[in-house]
Amino acid sequence: MGIPIGKLKPKKVRKNIDLTLWERLYIFEIIRGMTVTTKHFMANLVGFVLHAKGKKRNIITVYYPEEKVELPPAYRGRPVLVMRENGKERCVACGLCEKICPASAISIIAEENENGDRYPASYLLDMSRCVFCGFCEEVCPKEAIVMSSEYEGLAKRDRNDLLCTKEMLLRTENSVKGRIEYIRRIYAKCNY
Amino acid sequence: MAANLIESIVKILFIFSVNIGFFSPILGWVERKQSALMQDRVGANRADVCGFTLIGLFHPIADAIKVLTKEDFIPEGADRLFHTIAPFISLTPAIITFAVIPFGGQYELFGHHVNLIIADLDVGILFVFAFASLASFGSVLAGWSSNNNWSFLGGLRASAQMLSYEVVMGLNIIGVIMVYGTLRLSQIGAMQADFFNWGIFLQPVGFVLFFTCAIAENKRAPFDVAEAESELVAGYFTEYSGMKFVMFWMGEFLEIVTIGALVTTMFFGAWHLPFVSDQMLLNYFRFAGPNGAASLAIVVNIITFFSKVIFFIWLQMTIRWTLPRFRYDQVMRLGWKMFLPIALINIFITGVVILAK
Repeated sequence: MGIPIGKLKPKKVRKNIDLTLWERLYIFEIIRGMTVTTKHFMANLVGFVLHAKGKKRNIITVYYPEEKVELPPAYRGRPVLVMRENGKERCVACGLCEKICPASAISIIAEENENGDRYPASYLLDMSRCVFCGFCEEVCPKEAIVMSSEYEGLAKRDRNDLLCTKEMLLRTENSVKGRIEYIRRIYAKCNY
Repeated sequence: MAANLIESIVKILFIFSVNIGFFSPILGWVERKQSALMQDRVGANRADVCGFTLIGLFHPIADAIKVLTKEDFIPEGADRLFHTIAPFISLTPAIITFAVIPFGGQYELFGHHVNLIIADLDVGILFVFAFASLASFGSVLAGWSSNNNWSFLGGLRASAQMLSYEVVMGLNIIGVIMVYGTLRLSQIGAMQADFFNWGIFLQPVGFVLFFTCAIAENKRAPFDVAEAESELVAGYFTEYSGMKFVMFWMGEFLEIVTIGALVTTMFFGAWHLPFVSDQMLLNYFRFAGPNGAASLAIVVNIITFFSKVIFFIWLQMTIRWTLPRFRYDQVMRLGWKMFLPIALINIFITGVVILAK
């Protein structure tokens, strides 16, 4: 089992013989190291604790619930349905997203209105199944479902709360504008 | 007699409130916040009262509440008696040593002679050392009585480290004693009224060695082999919880203050401002009458002394968050093979210089 005892060699410790006498005196190197940390301390004391409002902080930590990161349009958050101007959904209930969804998270019941246009009577998105792959968005011919940058409210105490209906998913076009532009730019390269 | 009693009580209450009421809770916050600032982080800032966080200053209160409501756990097979008294043994010396450290000069106030030191012992330094070495019993007993291998190793390491560094620390002090010719800390302080008589000019090597040894004695970061999170879980206080755990921490924090105070007293002019003696202070404040002048001078003394102490606390924290930990054999080698000879040479040179004068 493993290496036979005779072949085990003690690991050679690499002693750092490159240290100069000055470095081996240690105390000057300690002082140098402490100057570095003290510089950081002083800079942050001035720039952070005694921080003037409105000026840029030099600590990049984000205070999460109060401050939020600006997400790039490529971020795939929770999928949402885009609204038309009249408040109705853009979706025409073609069922492509339902078909392509690898997690079978989407289920649509289609109906026709008086003009003969199809619309989803019920559009159920099970967020407990969604894997945020973005296939639905990619496949959608009407840009009706897009991946928004929402990442909050996806954790619930009850799984039933994660079952999203059409009304819960509807968002105005303005709120997902960046993402729509982004998918036009990206998917335009592909010739489906 | 009554005046003496009142004076003593006032001084004891003052030192107690400064140490237990101010330094020991605030140092936990300082430690977190300073390490955060040195590492470009934010640090604890979430505890708030009515939406005000005060840069995290409520965290000591939150910690205290948390710690007081925690279960006091004694592991199976532990020595209940020693497990219980060990934190007390390690906390008490840190508080007691402050009794012989002067925080001001001697003044006449309302016809009463005020000496700003709780116990003006003529063997002040020896007293400090006697109690500092008692602190090692706390960690050894804690490690031994916990019935835990990590604790035991931590206790062993603590005892070896504290014993070896106490030797060097004692030898460093001999240089200071030779220069000032007294063991009385208030006298050592009084002799540093002249700026060029400060210990740092008379014993520069002694200062570096003493400061390092004091940090090692306190078992803090570059020398924290006794707790060594990466090796021994938490060393000798692995099995402690709640208030007893915090007593170890309080002992450590108070020892930081004590080290700061000792270094200030012996090497950095005690309560004196540079180039300003007590008599000059009294002359400056002559406008307030004799009693007013004395009280103003006392206030200036105390502020000066504690500013210096706070500076040395800051310095210790900076060292703690800058340097990586020594390996255990390196700690021992540093103590016995490097510091001990340097301390002896320091004593020799000090003796030669004193004789040559």
